[in-house]
Amino acid sequence: MDGLLMEISSPFQKGSTSVINKIKGVWEGYLFLVHLHKENEQLKKRMADLQRENDQMREMVLSHERLRKLLQFRETLSSTVIAAEMVGRDPSSWFKSVTINKGEKDGVRKGMAVISSEGVIGQILKTAPSHSVVLLITDYNSAIDSIIQRTRAKAIVEGGGENRCQLKYLLRAEDVVPGDKVITSGLGGNFPKGLMIGEIRKVDKKGHGIFQYAELVPSVDFTRLEEVLVIKESPPPPAEEKVKKVKKAK
Amino acid sequence: MKRILIPVFLGVLFLTLQTTWLALPFIRWIRPDIVLVLTLYLGISSPPISGGVLVFFLGYLMDLFSGNGFGLYAFSRPFLFYCAQLLKDRIYLESFPSRSLFVFLFALAEGLTLLILLKALNPEHLPNLYPLFFTVFLPQSLSTALLSSVLFSLLKKGSSLLYAEPGTGIGGK
Repeated sequence: MDGLLMEISSPFQKGSTSVINKIKGVWEGYLFLVHLHKENEQLKKRMADLQRENDQMREMVLSHERLRKLLQFRETLSSTVIAAEMVGRDPSSWFKSVTINKGEKDGVRKGMAVISSEGVIGQILKTAPSHSVVLLITDYNSAIDSIIQRTRAKAIVEGGGENRCQLKYLLRAEDVVPGDKVITSGLGGNFPKGLMIGEIRKVDKKGHGIFQYAELVPSVDFTRLEEVLVIKESPPPPAEEKVKKVKKAK
Repeated sequence: MKRILIPVFLGVLFLTLQTTWLALPFIRWIRPDIVLVLTLYLGISSPPISGGVLVFFLGYLMDLFSGNGFGLYAFSRPFLFYCAQLLKDRIYLESFPSRSLFVFLFALAEGLTLLILLKALNPEHLPNLYPLFFTVFLPQSLSTALLSSVLFSLLKKGSSLLYAEPGTGIGGK
């Protein structure tokens, strides 16, 4: 009798337990999902925070690397330099200039040379107490006295607009080939001798006249410009030259 | 006073945007000239004297921050302003396409004026200047024109909210 009763009631018990289990499962699953959702949100937030932190760290490393390079380059220079940061670009597309965060208060004056570890950037065009405008070497109004590193041929580097320059007054007789490096000559007083300006991309000897045409790619990528150095003072003449000058004076 | 200070502030803000965010390498080629849009908006909405002085100031600011030694924008911007003043009652500027076309034509006119002035004022021959008109200036004029419709609407809405006087309705003077 007990067995029969058990046999009859147990399917109900089983059914009831199964319903309870199902409800429990759904409930737990639901609660779990809620927790999972919350946890997921928290993890996403944490991941975004870590990503941001990672980006900042990476930016710091890159900035550190750039500054270290600039500092190393600064140590190689005999002139006094002022480190500055680029804060803006030219508002128009006809002209090529950048604004830097150093001005007259820091000793920046019109005509001073602006360089980076990659090479020549330009010269100071306008000054304000704490900002200055730098005329880039790619601007049409820019001209720098230069020499071809390999042949020592003299020429003037003039701006040619979008990331290019041209060599003017380069004698046709001079041996110049694409790939030749062009450096500052030191004449003119603003730029010390030997600073990299760029590399010759194209040489054209067609046409008449005593000069040849050469196109130059600046060694500095002006689209990635961030930190620059303003050359405050030209290096003093070497000791030997000083002695000669004194002798001549006597 | 409000009618002077707000456009000055807007001009400085637009110039700052133009020299920083809009000068980023990826947008450089199609960089819209938002100061020009403001100049033209002032041309069709401001009085000739105060607006002219304001636009001269904006042009002067442009010259200060650019590598231009001739003061070209201090000349070209008031010139465009007075041209817009002359034309404002003769052309329909309520639709998006008409505004865009208006700004596009003025941007091209300014480009040509600057090109001629640069050629005329520079004692030396400037090579590779004409191709710039097609490779840089035309895309920029187009992007300026496209953006101008939105900016004109925003500026119009902003000025109607700011300059509204009680009893004169929206945008009353």
